[in-house]
Amino acid sequence: MASSRDDFIIAIRSAFLKKSTQQKFSLLTLVFVSMFIILLSSLDFKVIRYLKIGINELVYRSSFVVSIPENFVKTTFKEISEYTTFFNNYKNDQKELSELKSNYVSNEIIQYENDELKELINDYISSSDKILAKIIVDHDSPFLKSIIINKGSKDNIKIGTNIYDQSYLVGRVIEVNFKTSRVLLLSDLNSNVPVTIAPQNIQAIITGDGKNYGQIKYIKGGLSDEFTEKSIVYTSGTGAIFKSGTPIGKLKVLKNEKNTKYNVEFYSDYSQLKYVFAEIITKSEIQDLKQENTNENKTPITAKIQILEDEKEIIEETNLKFKDENENLKNEINNLNNKILNFKNEILTQKKTINQFNIDKDELEFLRLNLIYSNKCQRKLFSTGYKVGTPEYKECVLNKGKKIYE
Amino acid sequence: MSSLRSKGSFFKLYSWLPLIILVVSVLNEFDFNYLNLDYFSFNFPFILIFFFTLKEFKNFDYFLVFVAGLFNDTVVGLPLGISSLSYMLICIATAYIRNITIRPSPIKDWFYFLLVISLINSLNYSLLTLFFSFNLNLMNYLVNTFFTFSFYIIFVSIFKYYLKGLND
Repeated sequence: MASSRDDFIIAIRSAFLKKSTQQKFSLLTLVFVSMFIILLSSLDFKVIRYLKIGINELVYRSSFVVSIPENFVKTTFKEISEYTTFFNNYKNDQKELSELKSNYVSNEIIQYENDELKELINDYISSSDKILAKIIVDHDSPFLKSIIINKGSKDNIKIGTNIYDQSYLVGRVIEVNFKTSRVLLLSDLNSNVPVTIAPQNIQAIITGDGKNYGQIKYIKGGLSDEFTEKSIVYTSGTGAIFKSGTPIGKLKVLKNEKNTKYNVEFYSDYSQLKYVFAEIITKSEIQDLKQENTNENKTPITAKIQILEDEKEIIEETNLKFKDENENLKNEINNLNNKILNFKNEILTQKKTINQFNIDKDELEFLRLNLIYSNKCQRKLFSTGYKVGTPEYKECVLNKGKKIYE
Repeated sequence: MSSLRSKGSFFKLYSWLPLIILVVSVLNEFDFNYLNLDYFSFNFPFILIFFFTLKEFKNFDYFLVFVAGLFNDTVVGLPLGISSLSYMLICIATAYIRNITIRPSPIKDWFYFLLVISLINSLNYSLLTLFFSFNLNLMNYLVNTFFTFSFYIIFVSIFKYYLKGLND
């Protein structure tokens, strides 16, 4: 028993410490060095950071060169598989293109409107430039979903810079070197994006599933019942990590016997990415801009802001004028209404007077005719007529003695 | 092969081939991921390092294996030193088995390889999740271990041809 333990110890010691003639370092030394490097990389020292950036630059470039043959095989393989489905894809693309064209114009208008409104809401103006970046390393690792792009701190790329494929969000920068950067894709398990699900307008967070989909997480219970296959997922901008309103993908409902799962099918195929856009955002305070406007050298943005401010001032002045005018008009209307009321009263009294006059006139005429024709119309002992005061009598007098009712 | 030996520089290149393949594979992550098969992945450097350190191949320098590990970490995006530690642990395991084995058997080596890579992948997973707060899919690690183990025997037969060619 003791000898077997001795053998084990001797074997272990030999494995760790024995150094053959070709080896420059013992394994134990290298194990300690590895541990030391792990420890250092977990601590954020400036020297280590620069060293790491140096290694990254070198390794990424080497990896790009070394990957050329594999990439060639990969591209050929994909081209062949694409060629087989080329015609069907072409037909589908044409259909989609015609639909998209019709939506494009209205989308553009909405986008402009949206930009203007955002600028008005925020107390800063954000101007963004999208720069084209080439993917130099994309190994589609099963453990970490990330890509390396050929733009770095030299091109103003920062940690957190949003990366797009056309207008679709694909990820954000997590590591910046001088000429290269690492982008964490949305499909990675470590990626968390605050999103809005339209048209239900539900806020949620999506995380990558480590493959090619996103999973909806951290959602209030019961809200998921409202989801449909047509739901669209776009960034909500919560937390200010991702810009709001950027499309990500569409919802896919996977129903099992036990439960229902909600995945997000990304608009971009991350395995097919060759070039991406990195959005460089520069924020500038409005107050600073006002001061800058006094300078002679105006940038197009400041000039635009100046125009907008002037326009705002003019609108405000016009509004004040309209308000005053409105007040005057209101007073005038009130006066006129009063006048109308007075006139109405006057008309009413005049009508009454006229009526009275007419009545008096009729009465007078009756009395005059009565004097002349009362003998003819009055009932007497030997002649026919009407009783005085009856309507028939009055009719008879007014008809100058003609007896109509006989 | 004698003609190969006579061509000095070509022979030198041929004898350094395992190390060149190791560096290329870590820079390139040679693992057929582009086939897009669900969960499919295998760790080629593990097979290569295990085999050649087990055979105590003269040009397979531990230090260069260590550097290859650093390259791998940079390419994959893992914290620096994780892969180097894994590779060094493989080297220790092979040195140990070499010391205790009197009669080598490919099948025993194969299963010993499974034990070693399982331990190393477990250690990797634990380090990354516990100390570096990475979100990792355990299933990926398990399937990776399985395929690496399965492909070992295929690659070993190819490497044996290479060694045979070199010795001849």
